Amino acid sequence: MARQINFGWTAAEREQAFLSLYKKAFPAVAKYMGKMGGSFDDAKDVFQDALVIFYEKSVQGAITLQTNERAYLVGIAKHLWSKKFKENTLNASLDEQWDIIADDDLQPSQNKLMHYLETAGQKCMELLKAFYYDNLPVRSIADFFGYSGERSATVQKYKCMEKVRETIKEKHLAYDDFVE
Amino acid sequence: MTSLNEIKLIDGYIFNNNPTEDTLLFDALLIINPQLSGQVVWQKKTHVIVQQYSRKKLKAEIESVHQKLFSQPSHRNFRQKIWSIFK
Repeated sequence: MARQINFGWTAAEREQAFLSLYKKAFPAVAKYMGKMGGSFDDAKDVFQDALVIFYEKSVQGAITLQTNERAYLVGIAKHLWSKKFKENTLNASLDEQWDIIADDDLQPSQNKLMHYLETAGQKCMELLKAFYYDNLPVRSIADFFGYSGERSATVQKYKCMEKVRETIKEKHLAYDDFVE
Repeated sequence: MTSLNEIKLIDGYIFNNNPTEDTLLFDALLIINPQLSGQVVWQKKTHVIVQQYSRKKLKAEIESVHQKLFSQPSHRNFRQKIWSIFK
């Protein structure tokens, strides 16, 4: 799939992209938040959530080069801020559209599992992230992770999926409060 | 069917991108093999966990950019502009 907005394929390239987006759009978001009585920390939280949504939509190909990045980010930020105050907002359809990322608080068992996966399973988690979340081309994934080719990287993806799936299943039996 | 093929088919089922013949095969397998629907549930959970993991990593990268902008001398003008808003 063509990547419409170039976040690059490495953490260093993503950093440059986020720096640029911060400079382009954060002043406008901060100005709006200041006007609405929000603090610097409120502006930061809302803007960073907006960047996550923007990133996810970009790598899914849902945002094109024609999209005005600044206007889009400010729009999401305004929506997130108004949502903080208005329950049952009329903009519920936008929540679905943007797959709002508010519910990130994990149950204790999920934290334990996440910690385990971040340590013991890090290589697999990074590979799965590259495939499923960052939506990177297989060729780049193979190069980046040092696999001999696309087929080898794809086989490893499925091996990792199997390994992580079995770990989650196993940990589910060990943790009582694992969320359904 | 090898376990890796099964995982591939389950992914195709979850993301609705299996070719027609695989969709028919998978529907049949779900009937024949009751354990398969359990594996679908676990694979969906795995995708949720991968998304949570990935978002956590992405947020850490964004926070690191924020820290740079609000500490490095080269970004002084930018942060002064922001701070003037919240004076």
